[in-house]
Amino acid sequence: MILFISILALIMIASSHSADKKVHEIARLNNEVKELRSIMVEGRKKLMGLKMQSSVVKKMELKGIETSLIPPKKIKVKSQSK
Amino acid sequence: MAIEDKHILNRLYFVAGCMFVFVLAVVFKLVSIQFIQGDKYRDLAEERTIKDVEILPNRGNVYSADGSLLATSVPKYDIRLDAITPSNIVFNEYLKPLCDSLSKFSRKPSSYYQNEIQKARKNKNRYFLLARNLGYSDYIRFRNFPMLSLGAFKGGLIVEQKTKREHPMGEIALRSIGYERFDDDGNVTRAGLDGAFGEQYLRGKSGHRLKQKIGKGQWKPIRDNNEVEPQDGYDIYTTIDINIQDIAHHALLEQLEFYKADHGCVVVMETKTGEIRAISNLGRNKEGKYYERLNYAVGESHEPGSTFKLMALAVALDDKVIDTSDVVDTEKGILTYYGKKVRDSRNGGYGKISVAKALEVSSNTGIVKAIHNSYTNNPKKFVDGLYDMNLNETLDLPIIGEGKPIIPDPRIKNKRWSGIALEWMAYGYGVSFTPLQTLTFYNAIANKGEMVRPLFLREVREFDKTIESFDKKVINKQVCSKETVKKLKQLLVNVVEKKHGTGHGLYSENFSMAGKTGTCQKDYRDKEKLNYISSFAGFFPAENPEYSCIVVIHEPDKSVGYYGADVSGPVFKKIAQKIYTDTPLIDEVETLNVANSSAETQYEQYYDTAQKYKTIMPNVKGMPTMDALALLENMGLKVKINGIGVVKNQSVAKGVRIKKNQTIELTI
Repeated sequence: MILFISILALIMIASSHSADKKVHEIARLNNEVKELRSIMVEGRKKLMGLKMQSSVVKKMELKGIETSLIPPKKIKVKSQSK
Repeated sequence: MAIEDKHILNRLYFVAGCMFVFVLAVVFKLVSIQFIQGDKYRDLAEERTIKDVEILPNRGNVYSADGSLLATSVPKYDIRLDAITPSNIVFNEYLKPLCDSLSKFSRKPSSYYQNEIQKARKNKNRYFLLARNLGYSDYIRFRNFPMLSLGAFKGGLIVEQKTKREHPMGEIALRSIGYERFDDDGNVTRAGLDGAFGEQYLRGKSGHRLKQKIGKGQWKPIRDNNEVEPQDGYDIYTTIDINIQDIAHHALLEQLEFYKADHGCVVVMETKTGEIRAISNLGRNKEGKYYERLNYAVGESHEPGSTFKLMALAVALDDKVIDTSDVVDTEKGILTYYGKKVRDSRNGGYGKISVAKALEVSSNTGIVKAIHNSYTNNPKKFVDGLYDMNLNETLDLPIIGEGKPIIPDPRIKNKRWSGIALEWMAYGYGVSFTPLQTLTFYNAIANKGEMVRPLFLREVREFDKTIESFDKKVINKQVCSKETVKKLKQLLVNVVEKKHGTGHGLYSENFSMAGKTGTCQKDYRDKEKLNYISSFAGFFPAENPEYSCIVVIHEPDKSVGYYGADVSGPVFKKIAQKIYTDTPLIDEVETLNVANSSAETQYEQYYDTAQKYKTIMPNVKGMPTMDALALLENMGLKVKINGIGVVKNQSVAKGVRIKKNQTIELTI
């Protein structure tokens, strides 16, 4: 009887410790999520700055390439489009 | 000795009695703590180790139409230094390298930091600010700086994290994307869409939950039930197209800088749906730099000037009191009503011209006279005409702070009406609209008379689930008759296409556009302060309008220029051109297997030659260089060419035996 109760007590203590551990883990992961998110946003911000037409135009000017005045032409083949 | 024994016994009783009383007192105190004050102390104990934690929700993001992030929340870091914690050895060893790193980061001299940090240590400052609002990568960089890398207990590093709103597009469209800001007194500033939809969608609901203190400053939830889960804010998808926005922003900026104007705005709207594709508002600060200062397009109601002539004509044409072919006399460019003069921008006026031409050349006298003649006996009818086109109503926009339209009315006694109100209204004075309200009307003309409300928001979403979506809202199904719309549209096309049109300078062969210039005087009551508002409103392509757009620039430097066509027109044109060059022209062909007989025979000849000649020089005269090159190089020869086209001569004659790697020269 005493043995059984002490085993139960052990299990209880172990599980409460593991719960504590999980709380710490969750806090750590939450922080990581936040950090990764901010890396993502930083990267996106950079990409957005780079891919905007105005910045591409500026870079291409150095190479002597300008924006076209006429739109590209797309040729569609009717027999192949389903 | 018995007496003495008793004596001792008495003392014993006395001591035991004292102890008994003492025990009683202890028991009494225990009981009183346990049962009388028990609740109070139990609560106190709970308070120390258990708390009701508010769980803050994540604020939703703001996206553009194509899913690019416009606003999101990210953690930002403040870095501080506890100047006392580091030991003398650590402090002396790492101070200089730390300051060198700091100076590299902020471009302030290293000596500045050395002084400041030493001062902080002397003053026992345990909270010395090193940097504020760092992004994550900068924060990581700081953590690796000398001394700080030792951590909080040896190096004195203090990190504070908070969540901030970030706009990945930076300055672009900042005012319209907006924010929601709380100051220390609890007042809220709500700008743009983020502000407008903050409470309703973005903010979310905070939850709370009971937690018990465990080690390392962490709290663990006690129960699974009896708590409220936080609800993250919804994401909102706006109608803004970042490519058009980018062009609009930079085109406006360039023009503002060139004309040294005070401020300006540009709005691009999709004709059929009213979706706002781009909105830019730039104002000048004290140093002459431009930034998203206020939402002029939404908030600033001003006298529109010549762009209003379109509304005036719309009323007159719809009432059938004027036709575009009617002739008006511009009387040498000056008309006088009640002692006030209406002047044309061209000295001497335009003589006798049609109403259509009066609009195309933007003759003030022409339009004013036409309106005067038709409505001077019944100005109420003109005002009612404007009301019928919903021009007296705000657009009911979500963005807070929309300017109210002003239309003088002879029936309303508010000192706006006067003997010249009708005439002044005809060319856009005395009335007042925001750029967005003017644009909405122009868009209605482009959209066959259907007036739609400008739309900023497309959808509210929670991850992939749509919570609410917003469709186009029609304000007025038909602002004026189809016939009138058609006439007005043609007039706007002529403004750009006809040689005499005020917008002809913007004409381009490649693509079509239509619009009306406006050059409006501002602060005209004081000649010294006289300034201009240059505007251009219109749509493109002229035939089947897809977008309408308005550009308004306030107070350009008069010495550089102030006409609507010069100042605002180019912004309009750039946007139109950009959209035109971004949409591919589509050519359709039936099938790819078209037999081209001449190509076929040429190919067969080429194939034959390639099969026949392996070691002997073939004749390549008359062959296209491309073919000759491929043919000869496949035979293992080296070929020198001097141009492109058809081969005229070959250095080795036909039929001569050749060696590997021999060089052949071709004259083209």
